Parts: sequence; C-alpha cells; structure tokens
Amino acid sequence: MARTLAMFTDTSLCIGCRACQVACKQWNELPMEEPEWTGSYQNHAHFTDKTYRLVRFIEKPQANGELQWLLMSDVCKHCAQAGCLDACPTGAIHRTEYGTVNINQDVCNGCRYCVSSCPFGVVAFNHDTGRANKCTFCNDRIHNGLGPACAKTCPTESIQFGFRDELAAKADKRVAKLKEMGYANAQLYGADTNGPLGGLNAFFLLLDRPSTYNLPEKPLLPQRNVFVDSVLAIGAALVVGVGAMVSFRERGGKGGGDA
Amino acid sequence: MLRSPEWHLLIVWYFFLGGIAGGAYFTAAIADNFGGPRDRNVVRTGYILSLLMIGVCGMLLILDLGTPSRFLNMLGAFKFKDPMSIGAWMLGVFGLFAFVSSALSLGGDEARAGLRRKWSLVGTIFGFFLASYTGVLLSATALPFWSDARLMGALFLASGASTGMAAISLLLYLSGDSAGEGFKKVKRADRFAIVFEMAVLVLFLVLLGGAAAPLVSGHLAPLFWGGLVALGLVVPLLLDLLGGMRVPAVVPAVLVLVGGFVLRYVIVMSHA
Repeated sequence: MARTLAMFTDTSLCIGCRACQVACKQWNELPMEEPEWTGSYQNHAHFTDKTYRLVRFIEKPQANGELQWLLMSDVCKHCAQAGCLDACPTGAIHRTEYGTVNINQDVCNGCRYCVSSCPFGVVAFNHDTGRANKCTFCNDRIHNGLGPACAKTCPTESIQFGFRDELAAKADKRVAKLKEMGYANAQLYGADTNGPLGGLNAFFLLLDRPSTYNLPEKPLLPQRNVFVDSVLAIGAALVVGVGAMVSFRERGGKGGGDA
Repeated sequence: MLRSPEWHLLIVWYFFLGGIAGGAYFTAAIADNFGGPRDRNVVRTGYILSLLMIGVCGMLLILDLGTPSRFLNMLGAFKFKDPMSIGAWMLGVFGLFAFVSSALSLGGDEARAGLRRKWSLVGTIFGFFLASYTGVLLSATALPFWSDARLMGALFLASGASTGMAAISLLLYLSGDSAGEGFKKVKRADRFAIVFEMAVLVLFLVLLGGAAAPLVSGHLAPLFWGGLVALGLVVPLLLDLLGGMRVPAVVPAVLVLVGGFVLRYVIVMSHA
C-alpha cells in the first residue's frame, strides 16, 4: 500500500468563497441542482448525490448577542474504519492504495445500506443512476499525480492535500498557534489515528466543538453492534427453539435433549 | 446530519415474510424432529410455506434494487461481518434447505423421513438466521433508535417465530385441518412465542429508554400501541387463553400476522 494520502481542512482559513464546491462540481461533472433556501448563505443544507464538497455557513450566537461566522468546507471523511465500506455487500465500496474510500459505480447495486451506515450522512443515493454517490477524493486525479480539485483550487489553503503524517504534524502546529492567538476552542477533528474510526483521512481543524458544526462528537462504527446483537439473537433462538420443542414433544415418547 | 436509506414497503414486506419463512421452517423442523406422526400436516405446511415465502422474499429484494440484474453484484463478495452480505448468501442457502425439506415431505412415503429430519435440523440454524438477521442489519447502521436497539435481532426472531407459527395454523385452519393434534401443538408453540415476544419487546423498550421515542410517542405510536401491542399481541393471547369464547381460531392467527407486519412497518418506516 502506498503512503496514506489525506486532506486537511483548516476551517480557520476558510473565507466561504465556495470555490472548492464549484471545482468539485466541475471536475466530477456533477449536474446542477435546484438551489435550496437554508436561511443562510449555505447551499445545500447537506451533501447530495451531486454535491460532494459543501461549504457550511454556521452562525453561532455570541455572548454579546451578535453572531459569529464559522465556515467549514465539509467533505467525505474517508474514515480509516469506514461504516459505508463495511456495510457494502457488493464490495463496490473499497479502499484505494492511498487509503481513501471510493465507490465503484459499476459494482454498486443500489441497496442503500451504506447510506444508513455513514456516521456523517455523507453517502447519498442517486435516483437517476440507482447507485450511491460520494466524494471520490478525486480518484482519477490522485492516480495521475494531481491533488483533489477542491484542494487545488482553494485560494487560502484552507484545504490542503498531502501525505497524512505530514499534514497531521502540520495541523498540530497550527492548533498550537491558534490557541496562542486566543482561539481557546481550536481543535483537530479526525487527525488522531488512535481516535474515533481510526482517524479520518479527510480531517479538520475546527474553531469550536464538533457539535457546533453538526458533526458527531464521537462518531462510532455502526458494525460495532453486530456481535452483541447476534449473540442476543442466538439466545432468543434457543428460548424459542426449546419452547417449540416442548410444545411438539410427544408425551412420554421420544424427544428431549437439545436441538 | 444522518441519512435515511429510503427503505420502504418492499423492505417492510421482505422483513415480514422473511420472518415467516424462517419461523415456519424452524417450527416445521422442530415438529419433524421432536413431534410425532400426527404432526405431519404441520411439518409439510411449514416447509412448503417457507419455500414459497423465500421465493417471494428474493423477488422483493431484487425489485427494491431498481435494476433487477444488479442483484448479481451481491454474489461478487462475501463479507462475514456484514449482515447484508451474509444475509444475501444465506437467503440462497436457506432456499436450498427449504426446497429439499419440502421435496422430501411430499408424498405419503415416509421412507425419506430420516434424511429429511437430519437435513432440516441443520436447516433450523438458517431458519433462525433468516428470522433474526434483518434486525441485526438495522442495528448495524449509524441511525439513532435502530443502532440503539440491542435486542432488534432477538425481537425480530421472536416475531418471526410467532408469525411463522400463526401462518402455519392459519393454513391448517383454512385447509380444514384444525381438529388434529398438530394444530393444537402449533397453537401451543405460538402461545409460547407470543409471550416470549412480549417479554423481549418490554426489555427492548426498557433498554432503549428515550431512544424508543419514534415508536412509543411519535406519529407511528398509534400503530405501534394499537396494531402491534394491543391487536397483535395482547388480544390474540387473551383470545387463546380464554379459549371458551366463540371466536374462530383463525382470528388470533390473523391478528398475530398483522402485528408482525406492523412491527416491521413501524421500525423500518421510523427512518423512511
């Protein structure tokens, strides 16, 4: 496996120009959509099957009654432990040699299990093609020596592309710097490979708690439930089985023992 | 900012009929192995019902994909910890068990009974699997309520048992075979399954606590309390226990089936 690639989105540098959102649309030839009134500059409210990069405009009330802008260019996190990938029954969702998570459109069969298995609600079902869509990390570009279109176009280097370890080191320094500057809540989201989901290969520097950005504080892998729930179901099967056995056993005849 | 998989009625029907298929099969297999010659109608009805249901189930799942031929893509992967992948494969394996058991239960010749019993005992495992894995599949998502429900698989299994047994008793009743010993036994087993389902449901709700809101207090709550708890569980159990009342045996069986459908409906549609 090649060295893991990553995108580091430093939201403290984002100016909300949405060039990333446009570049993503253009490179990936994603069709236009009806604009959506969200009550803010943000458009759309969330990722869609045709919007893989989305600049979030969060208006946070301050103590003095005024609003503070929090801007964040959001994207698929390309989780190291990816719920969508584990859920995919066809193998369409796979990990590339660069550590990114991609959906092979020819293999996806439209079951939509991945849609419900993403802790961030990223994967979206495309009703036109009947398949699931999400950010590809510009798979075609990174395989040809180019960074993702969003990172390439970002005018403030809010979105940076590179090797994961190098970017994470850079992110640590940036957080320290911001804290020094008085941004007490500055924090990294997904940079730690020992953190939730084994770290996110698209990680973020946030200026506030994750929940302020509508991100889960502690994203969990959905498949964590499979073992316990299966054991409980097996327990239920034993009870049901014994009940049926007792009901059907011929009195004084054969039977008994366990199933 | 989580997202619904947009699973609707096709999936509700699949979960419901898959439970019946699994429940009818393991009921028939247990009756086959532990019952007597008077239970043969239960055995045969259960096997054939499960085979028919599994055929319908496969069609429902294929229809839900939109492009039917894409179901073949499921066969390109086998992921042991993925309920959907395992489920797709087990559907096929279960179908094979149901087919062979059904075939061996036809005809008056009981010479093949020994083979059928052994075969079906193994198949019981797949029947239990089919009735319960859909619950585990829902709990292995990122969505609230579904992923909070630790007993979803157990509840689906209990419901699969009660509905599978109710379906067998309904078919026996409709075919005029409700006077025999087999009918009595399947009713007895169903009574036990209903009581167990109620117990699992109570525990399910207690463990969920506030996370159960979509069921117990949302817009689906009237259906949940009225359709499942009252009509689908309490009433059929009371009718069964107060056997003296002049209610045809078909009524509790139909109510249990309605309840089983409502259970899948309210749970799946809570994230529609």
